Amino acid sequence: MPRKMVKEMSKQEKLLEIKNLKQHFKVGKGTVKAVDGLTFDIYQGETFGLVGESGCGKSTTGRTIIRLYDATDGEVVFKGEDVHDKKSAKDLKKFNRKMQMIFQDPYASLNPRMTVADIIAEGIDIHGLADSKKARMDKVHELLETVGLNKEHANRYPHEFSGGQRQRIGIARALAVDPEFIIADEPISALDVSIQAQVVNLMKKLQREKGLTYLFIAHDLSMVKYISDRIGVMYRGQIVELAESEELYRNPLHSYTQSLLSAIPLPDPEYERSRKRMVYDPEKHKPENGEERVLREVSEGHWVACTEEEYNKLKNSVTV
Amino acid sequence: MERILDVNDLHVSFDTFAGEVKAVRGVNFHLNKGETLAIVGESGSGKSVTSKAVMRLIPDPPGRIKQGEIKFGDRDLSKLPEKEMQKIRGSEISMIFQDPMTSLNPTMTVGKQIMEGLIKHQNMNKAEAKERAIELLKLVGIPDAEGRVTQYPHQFSGGMRQRVVIAIALACNPRVLIADEPTTALDVTIQAQILELLKDLQEKMGTSIIFITHDLGVVANIADRVAVMYAGKIVETGTVDEIFYNPQHPYTWGLLGSMPSLEASEEDLIAIPGSPPDLLDPPKGDAFAPRNPYAMKIDTEMEPPLFKVTETHYAATWLLHEKAPKVEPPEAIKKRLRGMAPDEPIIATKDGERNV
Repeated sequence: MPRKMVKEMSKQEKLLEIKNLKQHFKVGKGTVKAVDGLTFDIYQGETFGLVGESGCGKSTTGRTIIRLYDATDGEVVFKGEDVHDKKSAKDLKKFNRKMQMIFQDPYASLNPRMTVADIIAEGIDIHGLADSKKARMDKVHELLETVGLNKEHANRYPHEFSGGQRQRIGIARALAVDPEFIIADEPISALDVSIQAQVVNLMKKLQREKGLTYLFIAHDLSMVKYISDRIGVMYRGQIVELAESEELYRNPLHSYTQSLLSAIPLPDPEYERSRKRMVYDPEKHKPENGEERVLREVSEGHWVACTEEEYNKLKNSVTV
Repeated sequence: MERILDVNDLHVSFDTFAGEVKAVRGVNFHLNKGETLAIVGESGSGKSVTSKAVMRLIPDPPGRIKQGEIKFGDRDLSKLPEKEMQKIRGSEISMIFQDPMTSLNPTMTVGKQIMEGLIKHQNMNKAEAKERAIELLKLVGIPDAEGRVTQYPHQFSGGMRQRVVIAIALACNPRVLIADEPTTALDVTIQAQILELLKDLQEKMGTSIIFITHDLGVVANIADRVAVMYAGKIVETGTVDEIFYNPQHPYTWGLLGSMPSLEASEEDLIAIPGSPPDLLDPPKGDAFAPRNPYAMKIDTEMEPPLFKVTETHYAATWLLHEKAPKVEPPEAIKKRLRGMAPDEPIIATKDGERNV
């Protein structure tokens, strides 16, 4: 399906709403505000990219959304239901089926003492999705084929696979319970370049076929741009800019986004020789009157953290 | 141009329980004075083993340099006794490792770690060495060097630690610096700073750099020449422009194709199918053949030699043989390249000239 169509459809339906999400950790005497007031929506069928440097809180965001951490404050609303509400075990189970996660390290995220079949089928067993042993194995075989492995792999152990293959197993495990939403936390950072492309192509194919929605967390901006429909840029626990990926790369408005984009080396020597890097200095970037920057929509779908004054300037420059 | 390092027919193997892993299988390259040579390849292609062999850091056993020579000036490093090698390591050739967290000693102040090499190789006394350590910290851009010199590695951020590692490597003003994925563990903005620092230092000190990486963006940024490694061999080597604008080897095409460009693109990336071969039992013929959509029959039987494209550009693929059918690189690669240099359309012709 052309991406345009997906977008138009998706405009109507919010799958996930994140409202003023906060995640603070107590460290010694102080607190680390890993995520500090995030608000954004993820639409049905899209890929939302979350980028930022290490320590900006992007992984914490993903983990809080799926309730691996209990949020300090704020709401995560998935299909109209608050994820962080108190839930009965039964409801929680139902919720866990709809949201799955793919992890960064394909070596650490698979239990080395379980066969691939058992790893993939763990969710099937928990949720009782197969009524016989045969149905269970059939499902495992089908999943293996979906992710480009074959049946014979089912009885092997994780150490027998390469990094790319392991990541495929992790994807198969996530798909086993027919989720609607997948959080992929740096799914390709640990893989080689040629293998990265394989995994990204697989994720795109699965999205087309199953209508999945992704939250794609990464620090590799060129890959994020490639896979995402919309991108949020995080800095110190907050989103500083959010826009459609084309728009964000063509017209970055926040100086942090600009500095991040100007730092990516591209595989083009001529471009590299002339590249000018912009440096982001949070001290210089502080508003003079001490006003806090708030995320505001400057043009349709393009949000930037800015002060009132900057907002008016940006808005005028965009309309002109 | 003065050649500072000349590696000829290097073979490195590791003896394991499963048999002999042939990690490096006949590598030839040289390094000119003051230039940066990038060695590119995926994990397991032998790029780190090659660089470690130059430093003689291959643990023996299980590893050994089976064959070949590493000429550094008039000495052959592969045959030098360990005592002699110790004098070269850290003073004439030094190395920066990938992970700044693990390559520093957490129980020593950074100053002490920089001074170690100075006292050992340059016969400085403590006071002189400390002074020089502060100078070096300033050189690599660490603010408040006087105060920082007595601090421990955990008091530094990742990027700052890598600067300390670079300061240690440069302490004795080495002629060759080997940087093994020095920026892979760092964020893009910090990576950009470190690359700028290395280029700046190279200009000031005239150091020759071997830069090992799998990131083609970084290669385009820092390299003068590039060697592409696959399965323990160099499959293509040339100047940075030749490799990016006129690549000849299908593996190089694959590497360039699997990187998304920042230009708009809706198509799938060209992934290289399959995975690298097992070097316990390298395949007969061209090791890349099973993953190569352009493979011919001869690829499964005979290993291709390095064919000359220009004086500086060589590629090991039978496609360059005069009897081979003429194959155009994949559309996406050609389009990319056109997109990359819009003012100067580049077309690869058979003899490898760049036509405008």
